[in-house]
Amino acid sequence: MLRTDVRLLRALTLGIAVALTLAACGQGNTSQSASQSGGAQQSTAPTTGGTIYILTQAEQFDQVDPQRAYTGEDLAFFGGTIYRSLVAYKFSADPIEGTSIVPDLATDLGTPADGAKTWSFTLRDGVTFQDGSPITCEDIKYGTSRTFATDVINQGPTYAIAYLDIPTLDDGSSAYKGPYTKVGQELFDKAVTCDGKTITFHLNKAVPDFNFTTTLGFSPVPAAADTGETYGVAKPPVSSGPYMVESYQTGNGGKMVLVRNPNWSQASDPYRHAYPDKWEVDFGIDPKVLDQRIMQSSGVDETAIQYGNIQPENLSIVFKDQETPNDQFAGRAVSGFDPYSRYYWINVNKVTNVKIRQAMAVALDRAAIRLNIGGAFAGDFADGVIKPNIGQDYASTGFWTDMLGKKIPDAGDPEYAKQLITESGEPAPKLTFDYPDTPTNAKTVAIIVQSYAKAGMTVTPNPIEPGQYYSVVFDPAKGHEFGTGGWGADWPNASTVIPPLFTQKGGWDLSQLDDAALNAKVEAAQVELDRATQAGLWQALNKEAMQNVWVIPTFFGLSQTIAGTKVAPTYRWPAYGSWPYGDMYVKP
Amino acid sequence: MTAYLVRRVLGMFVLLFLLSVTVFFLFNLLPGDPARLTCGKACTPVIIEQNRHRLGLDEPVLTQYVKFVSGIFVGRTFAPNSPAPIVCNAPCLGYSFNRHEQVMTMIARAAPVTFWLAIGAFILWIFAGLSLGIFAALHRGRWPDRLVMGISLIGYSLPSFFIGLVLIFFVIIKWQMLPFPAYVSPFENPVKFLQTMILPWIVLATLNAAFYMRLTRNQVLEVFGDDYVRTARAKGLPERVVVVKHALRAGLTPIVTAAGLDLAYLLGGAIISENIFSLPGLGALAVGSVTNSDLPLITGITLLTASIIIVANLVVDLLYAVIDPRVRIT
Repeated sequence: MLRTDVRLLRALTLGIAVALTLAACGQGNTSQSASQSGGAQQSTAPTTGGTIYILTQAEQFDQVDPQRAYTGEDLAFFGGTIYRSLVAYKFSADPIEGTSIVPDLATDLGTPADGAKTWSFTLRDGVTFQDGSPITCEDIKYGTSRTFATDVINQGPTYAIAYLDIPTLDDGSSAYKGPYTKVGQELFDKAVTCDGKTITFHLNKAVPDFNFTTTLGFSPVPAAADTGETYGVAKPPVSSGPYMVESYQTGNGGKMVLVRNPNWSQASDPYRHAYPDKWEVDFGIDPKVLDQRIMQSSGVDETAIQYGNIQPENLSIVFKDQETPNDQFAGRAVSGFDPYSRYYWINVNKVTNVKIRQAMAVALDRAAIRLNIGGAFAGDFADGVIKPNIGQDYASTGFWTDMLGKKIPDAGDPEYAKQLITESGEPAPKLTFDYPDTPTNAKTVAIIVQSYAKAGMTVTPNPIEPGQYYSVVFDPAKGHEFGTGGWGADWPNASTVIPPLFTQKGGWDLSQLDDAALNAKVEAAQVELDRATQAGLWQALNKEAMQNVWVIPTFFGLSQTIAGTKVAPTYRWPAYGSWPYGDMYVKP
Repeated sequence: MTAYLVRRVLGMFVLLFLLSVTVFFLFNLLPGDPARLTCGKACTPVIIEQNRHRLGLDEPVLTQYVKFVSGIFVGRTFAPNSPAPIVCNAPCLGYSFNRHEQVMTMIARAAPVTFWLAIGAFILWIFAGLSLGIFAALHRGRWPDRLVMGISLIGYSLPSFFIGLVLIFFVIIKWQMLPFPAYVSPFENPVKFLQTMILPWIVLATLNAAFYMRLTRNQVLEVFGDDYVRTARAKGLPERVVVVKHALRAGLTPIVTAAGLDLAYLLGGAIISENIFSLPGLGALAVGSVTNSDLPLITGITLLTASIIIVANLVVDLLYAVIDPRVRIT
């Protein structure tokens, strides 16, 4: 009796699940047919009005504070709606155009002097905060100064600390401690000067792409409104863009509602279009429900977009392959590079022999690992840490084709790995692999253990609670021989990739490298004024990293997301790997 | 009775104290460094140390515990030497640097949602469970009994996330009979409140009602076989009086125990229902705190939910005496 009941229930469960999926497809098909009859998805002229709903699984924005926001999607959303910066990325789907900058608060892209050790920007006329008060040079200077208060304003980009010409103390911290204590204020006032509408940044070295840097953490904040730790959360942040925050409630069922900023004018902001009347971000939506809502695209969900990625189980319903949506989702489902390169870092102090590190790369069954994490949807095989979408700094390293002595198959080459171990003069290593403890990672680790075993290497998995992962592996005493890692460039220059990953000062040196010669080469590349020459230097350093196998490159991440039937334009903005928020509108 | 009550209440406070010690020290022993977690992408050892100081983690664990407990009664100030100190008023269960908000404020905001969710579902399942359970018992072995037991088997077997997803897909997304859940207080907008809560109530009630149908049926049937019920019938009492006054009352004791604990468990947060229906209750808050490794929030919620269970246990024990005269508390 029980067995029969269980079978019946299983059949019922499976039947309803299939019905749900088919029903979603069927309805989507109907909607799309109607949409196609009116023309191609993005061929309509932009219109003003309506509300765009943003549906997200997250319970809150990582950060709302303009000096603390640091994830691509958040930067893109806030940059398109409430926060202006000196320059901004152009709205375009084109990889080159979409990562080029245009003036925003500034009248131009900035003027370098003294071999790019000094940069000046002049503010436009008529730029104001939401209360109508003018945005001044002092407001940008104050906003920039907040980054230095690392005991209050943390988790954000720290390029202001790295680049401004302010001395550092013996412990490596800046002598300026931010606007709250004002310790070292005179040093900051010397490094950042205002002359009318012109703000000048004095840098500690040549930074040829400093204007790109100003997209991260250099937005204006009025000093009188600054509440420190709780800025933007306890009460709405002060907007400088076309919208302002009407309400913000975190958690499940929470919302952020943006309404028009009455004191914003298109004349002072030719960059943003500000088409919709309102934005509503809905937090804490179950990812399965979220996918179904936007796939179905009915009611208010017609003008909804997904803040995040389509669930793996729905990818084959929405896409024909990793790039092409199925017909019913054409024009509203997009797939493209996310900001990240994935890799396995190797602690060079624990695995000192380069031949062993090469063997670790060679033995890896990358094909099985990719299949486990979603197949081709998950990403392309990576050949370095610099991703192709970064532009001219990318060049193929040949890591898997010839750099290791022969072409390495996607499924790995255990026999060749054994040969490399023999050449190393060391016994086959016993390794421990650190990874965030998720079901997918657990399966990946099983593949690693199995593929390394074929080459005679022993791997002990070390699962770490996901939220604690980086805090554990950054600790030299707790991190093991190798583990998972990922990194995304902050702007289209490998100056935001190579230094963080391979120098101690960079902040993301999971391989624990601290090599003076390498540091000198990185420094030389950073200050190189000729962009083409600089690109060559980064390419060489990327190649050097691969030759030494400081990391094993795995995937250049792809991600897939979807919008409702009445939102346009729907493309992956290369600047942030996000929706082009400032360019979006509700279709009539 | 009074002595028992005093003894139990004192025992409860001892238990709460031991619980607070266990929870606090347990979470402090977890691997990982909260100071690194709040440091972000561009991190240096100096910033990590500053964060450690700001979070109060550079002090001995015992000192941290004493400050934590005293904060509950007199409040406390985080990062007192910082240029932007954070004042946490009593009862202070901590401050979430992840959400930039006091733990107590977040719990106070989430608790009413969970309360209404639990109470509504509780009423539904108790009503359905008891009535159908009694109905099945009165028709033992006949088709109404089999029908009710069949329904309870299905209800008991279907996982709540599955029922929730099916209801959302058909009722909200496909047929658009209800708006997507967006919690509002019943005092603010009763119609929207009901529109939001009806499906979560049904989901939660389905699973529990199925259990209570079976429990009630079994209890009533067991009591029907007792001597005093036979005596009541022999006295010529109407069947309604026999069932309600004699059989059901005695049979209710284990049901009250289960109901009290189930309700208490639910008041600690209905994780799956709250997440599927995007309800900002304690369950969702707990999941979010674990996902973000938000230790102050995890500690606060754990203490609160455990306290609810302990108090509910006491209340259930005391209710025994009221319901079943055979129970004597001395």
